[in-house]
Amino acid sequence: MSGRWSAATRDPALPDLFVPESLDDAIGFLADHAGSATPIAGGTDVMIDTRLGRVSPEWLVDLTRLGSLVDRQIDGEVLRLGALTTIRTVELDPQLARRAAALVEAARVLGSVQIRTMATIGGNLCHATPSAEMPPALLVHDAVVQTAGPGGERSLPLSELFAGPGRTTLEPGELLTAVSLRVPAVAAGSCYLRQTVRWSMDLAGVGVAAAVEVAGTTVTRARIGLGAVAPVPLLVGEAAEAVVGTTLSAEDAARAGACAAAACSPITDARGTAEYRRQVVAVLVPRALRVSWLRATGSWPAGVPAPINGVLSRDAA
Amino acid sequence: MRVELVVNGDPYRREAEPDVTLLSFLRDVLGLTGTKWGCMTGDCGACTVLVGKEPVVSCLQLAQQVQGREVTTVEGLERDGELGDVQAAFVSNGAAQCGFCTPGMIVAAQALLQRNPSPTEAEIREALSGNLCRCTGYNKIVDAVLEAAQALTGTA
Repeated sequence: MSGRWSAATRDPALPDLFVPESLDDAIGFLADHAGSATPIAGGTDVMIDTRLGRVSPEWLVDLTRLGSLVDRQIDGEVLRLGALTTIRTVELDPQLARRAAALVEAARVLGSVQIRTMATIGGNLCHATPSAEMPPALLVHDAVVQTAGPGGERSLPLSELFAGPGRTTLEPGELLTAVSLRVPAVAAGSCYLRQTVRWSMDLAGVGVAAAVEVAGTTVTRARIGLGAVAPVPLLVGEAAEAVVGTTLSAEDAARAGACAAAACSPITDARGTAEYRRQVVAVLVPRALRVSWLRATGSWPAGVPAPINGVLSRDAA
Repeated sequence: MRVELVVNGDPYRREAEPDVTLLSFLRDVLGLTGTKWGCMTGDCGACTVLVGKEPVVSCLQLAQQVQGREVTTVEGLERDGELGDVQAAFVSNGAAQCGFCTPGMIVAAQALLQRNPSPTEAEIREALSGNLCRCTGYNKIVDAVLEAAQALTGTA
């Protein structure tokens, strides 16, 4: 590390901190300081971006005292998680492990225990990293985000939140307050798998989430979400439709994988080439669909995560 | 801005700039230098402390954000001049070489054992995956945590 920051009490790279007492306070301050104030919650992205000079706000606005952003409610099939819900809370939630396995699998591979303890679901979404873990898992659970801003409250499908790498469609002063997801209790299953070079403390080279609902032996509904293979996290509808009405044979799943690979637009960077990423999508989508199917049909032990690459021990036999 | 924290069981109240990190507050304001200043980007884990019972990287945590909470640093793991079980196991296993990562390792291991008193080797490696060591190759650290777990659960 260079002399960019010193051991002085005051970290010279950090901006001033505003601590609002209410959500309205926070929104008002952010709207009045549009372009010069950045919200901070867990800080695991904002602190780093600020230190490294990727962003240079004059103000950080601390959201951590806003108790209304930490609620967690379930109403039938809809689960609402406040924006300040930590990734660690998601990882350790036994109800989510049964009803939104993809979300728990995404949470448990994010960063480290320390990072997961601090990082929030709202921050993971609003940072809008193309390779972020939570978006694909939330997308396959039909996530809708709630926001509050100077113009009032609104809801939008999660897929409409992302505008590009590091960019959201939120207006100045608008805050993400909660995310609601569909978590059916029976005949449904989901799964998140990823490819990385390192298994810890790395971003996804490719992230794949799937969710299916099953009646008898037929898939009645499917969702496939992709991370790190496009400027924004993707729901690939055509690939998911390819398995609806099928019994999810290996051929059906492979067709969905090929379709998803054709629908994404990866780039070549340090974590892999575009060609490699496309092939990984074609491989991971069928595996994620299979685990989701096993969960939906009661053939997977409740609450047990899948191996992160989706390879089951029976495959080796 | 006033920061009030309970650190290793003792209450502290100090004036500090609003943007002071928990790491700076511990080291530069309270003089608790056991917690190390490492990468400053949350990758290395050398600055790991407990807030409540949960491990955080104190370089990314503003002191203001943990106002009123209980914080435990590596200094707080000894009792009446005796090393805690995890600390003692690190010594007896030679789980340190240069020692810079050791406070963070020990605090992260302490957090694991509070949640899971008898972890497997894989669970230990996963729990310590946010703590980098460039000397030991990790094997002796894992051995030390296994031994500490046995000491804590009385199965040694």
